[in-house]
Amino acid sequence: MKEQVRLRCKELLSAKRVAAVWGLREKDGCAVPFLFQNPEEIDALTLSPKAPLSFTCRPSNETMLSVLQKKMPGKRIGVVARGCDERALIELAKGERIDLDLIEVIGFSCDQAQAEECVCSRPFPQNPVAGDKVKGIPEEKAFQGLLAMELKDRLKYWEAQLNKCIKCYGCRNACPMCYCKDCRMEQSVFTKIGWLPPEFPLFQFVRFYHMSDHCIECGECEKACPMDIPLRKITKYLRSRMEDLFDYHPGLDAKRKSPILTTVDEDPVKDLPDELR
Amino acid sequence: MNYDNIHTTCPYCGAGCRFHLQVLDQDIIGIFPDRSHPVSQGKLCIKGWNAHEFVTSKDRLTKPLIRRGGGFQEASWEEALRVIARRLKDYPPEAVGVLASAKCTNEENYLMQKFARVVLGTNNVDHCARLCHASTVVGLVKSFGSGAMTNSIPELEDSKCIFIIGSNTAEQHPLVAHYIIKAKEKGAVLIVADPRKITLARYADYHLPQRPGTDVALLNGLMNVILSEGLENKAFISERTENIDAFKEAVKKYTPEYVAGVTGVPKDSLIAAARAYARSSASSIVYSMGITQHTTGVDNVVSCANLAMLTGNIGKPGTGVNPLRGQNNVQGACDVGALPNVYPGYQSVADEKIRQKFEEGWKTKLSAKPGLTVVEMTNEAEKGNLKALYLMGENPMLSDPDIGHVRRGLAKLDFFVVQDIFMTETAELAHVVLPGVSYAEKDGTFTSTDRRVQLVNKAIDPIGESKPDWQIICELAKKMGSREFEFSSPSDVMDEMARLTPIYGGVSYERLRLGDLQWPCPSKDHPGTPILHKEKFTRGKGQFLPVEFQEPAELPDEDYPFILTTGRTIFHFHTGTMTRRVSTLNREVPTGYVEINADDARAIGVGDEDMVSVATRRGSIKIKAKITSRVHKGVVFIPFHFAECAANVLTNPVLDPVAKIPEFKACACRMERG
Repeated sequence: MKEQVRLRCKELLSAKRVAAVWGLREKDGCAVPFLFQNPEEIDALTLSPKAPLSFTCRPSNETMLSVLQKKMPGKRIGVVARGCDERALIELAKGERIDLDLIEVIGFSCDQAQAEECVCSRPFPQNPVAGDKVKGIPEEKAFQGLLAMELKDRLKYWEAQLNKCIKCYGCRNACPMCYCKDCRMEQSVFTKIGWLPPEFPLFQFVRFYHMSDHCIECGECEKACPMDIPLRKITKYLRSRMEDLFDYHPGLDAKRKSPILTTVDEDPVKDLPDELR
Repeated sequence: MNYDNIHTTCPYCGAGCRFHLQVLDQDIIGIFPDRSHPVSQGKLCIKGWNAHEFVTSKDRLTKPLIRRGGGFQEASWEEALRVIARRLKDYPPEAVGVLASAKCTNEENYLMQKFARVVLGTNNVDHCARLCHASTVVGLVKSFGSGAMTNSIPELEDSKCIFIIGSNTAEQHPLVAHYIIKAKEKGAVLIVADPRKITLARYADYHLPQRPGTDVALLNGLMNVILSEGLENKAFISERTENIDAFKEAVKKYTPEYVAGVTGVPKDSLIAAARAYARSSASSIVYSMGITQHTTGVDNVVSCANLAMLTGNIGKPGTGVNPLRGQNNVQGACDVGALPNVYPGYQSVADEKIRQKFEEGWKTKLSAKPGLTVVEMTNEAEKGNLKALYLMGENPMLSDPDIGHVRRGLAKLDFFVVQDIFMTETAELAHVVLPGVSYAEKDGTFTSTDRRVQLVNKAIDPIGESKPDWQIICELAKKMGSREFEFSSPSDVMDEMARLTPIYGGVSYERLRLGDLQWPCPSKDHPGTPILHKEKFTRGKGQFLPVEFQEPAELPDEDYPFILTTGRTIFHFHTGTMTRRVSTLNREVPTGYVEINADDARAIGVGDEDMVSVATRRGSIKIKAKITSRVHKGVVFIPFHFAECAANVLTNPVLDPVAKIPEFKACACRMERG
């Protein structure tokens, strides 16, 4: 599978159909993102479904791809993407952070074991260059145990889990969709600044709420959490509610606006403030 | 366009987390945690996530500065080094001192102590480990023969009982707390002994809020229960330890009733905690500055060692005595000999054979007389006996006890050189200031708290005209005529260090590129040592040392009715030179505060966020009150990061008699509104 992806990347670079490829490179025993600019470099390209392709850089609050697009205006960039990476690209384009027309997705599918580990409902990009599209895992698997609990027990569970938080903001930093210039988690309206644990439940829930129509189920938030808070149980629940209520799937259709940003008659809300765009 | 990820080690606490600096065209644009690291596993705390921001702060020192008249003037490197070389030659060896840095690399600390010993001819070299874990190094060497964390951080996850004493782990070593919480969720028993209701106390099965400074009584009390209930590990004691009888005799009087009276910890929780610790199949002790920073610091450490030996909780996974070192490389700075009584690898300067080895290695006659420690240097400076000081990457004007005294000492110096990345409170007193570089601008190694030697890789070129500290030391040594500083890279320095330091004998950059190595690593084919004292203790048999409880040097009285204790917060680091230049951290906690219990606040008529004045026999500060149940009645807490309300104006510079560590954790204070 790796060879197929490498071949495709080499072709694209050699034919100058892309100016560079953004993918993972093996370095110092780690798979880390790299900007491949020559076909010869591609031999070091690796695929690692467990490694993220792009966090949001701090303190600029910009995703790497928007940084790169600014550095290479008008140039096409290839992006080696898992299903979730591709969904992130689509959502970033909807948020006007990147120009999708200048991105060439070189997609690959995750295998069944990986899909199960991630409880991923769509472990493949739309047109994978490599790998077979395996069956997705229903998202309910991640949270159905919780739904079986009484409400007061659920509250207790979340109180215990979220009170572990040490305010590293890792969930936000690792999230490819958390690019707001003005992050709600940092505002004193929602939580007392400089104090641990942050107030339950607002500190995390303001982010969960914000993610309900953005989350592309990459799971990076949970992997970044130094206290192992099971964040995906909430994000997946929110995703499934968005599906039930609005038949909406973040990251699948670049043309479809978020239902949260539309009125009851489904017309897009006019005159959006900048931060909601 | 050039993009790269530079794999490196976090410059804050001793957990040794690793991440990649994301570098785009010489600009560090972000941090990418290392998913495959054995400790951090792709996770970081808030300081780690922002560890790149201070590197390019506009406040960085970019040129050497020389004091002329009332202020500093920029100078060339040539001139600055010439002035230092000329001046340092003026003093006899006993009148000069060197302070190395727990923030700098192993190689730089090695060079700094070598500079003191070879070029200046003195053993007057120390660093701020004196202020944090000097008692650990002394205490654990006495008990076990090796003064370092016995086990590895990730092992905590499989510990069945974790006893934390004097460590606010979730805030000071968040990625260590990660494993403690994991263990707890897997069913381990958690015991937290801390005067404050710290974050982990919320998860504790037993929280033992001892009165500050009564740790020996508490620990002896636990051991009294274990012995009186026959829960000790008799086989381990007879096979692997010595001096149990004298020890048993000493703990006899520490009955639960007596200890409850001294410490304020309820008898029942003491008994229950002792049983839980003794009965589990793998119990681990985690401690930090809450017990080391006392006049009885060594006694506290030795008592932890006694407890582990009494129950056989040493030499196995998930057990041990685990001091958490506070800085990225405080372990390493000690390991490589930035201490006044030992050469690299804890080899005594007083031992003739060892001295000869170093004299041959460094081709120089060396002094046999152990040198001065940090606080002693300030004392001697004030007396006029220490004339010149060369200090690298330390800020005693905020970090040392009784700042008024520190200022008087430093101000009396005839010649004072400070090498740092920022104009610190200390640098302001210097005659020459040299601009060193941050971790992001140089190669080297840090050794984290679990003896893990890890690479630091250069991500960007030095800012302005600043230079890597290892280069500065070498250039200065050469200027002073030494031929023993011909190194072309930090890797070269490591090679020399490995030749002379048995515990680092097998360490090389070539090997470190493939992964970390935990010392002792005596040879090139040795895999490193995750767990110490497995079959036998470093000193042969583990030694029980009877210890009697003594009160802190200063107790509350009518004039000064409160006990003041100090520490750090999760959002800042030490003297704030780095973290107060990071926007995210500054937004969380912009200035200092004193934590006061609601009852005490009411008694002195203070409301939340009101300004109070806190005074001790050393001095007084004005600071914002934070009313909280985290502290008990009669105890107040102040973080020491903030120059404008510096806790160390107040602290007591009285020292542990052996380790010479000051009593930061308990002194008497009074408070009033305004």
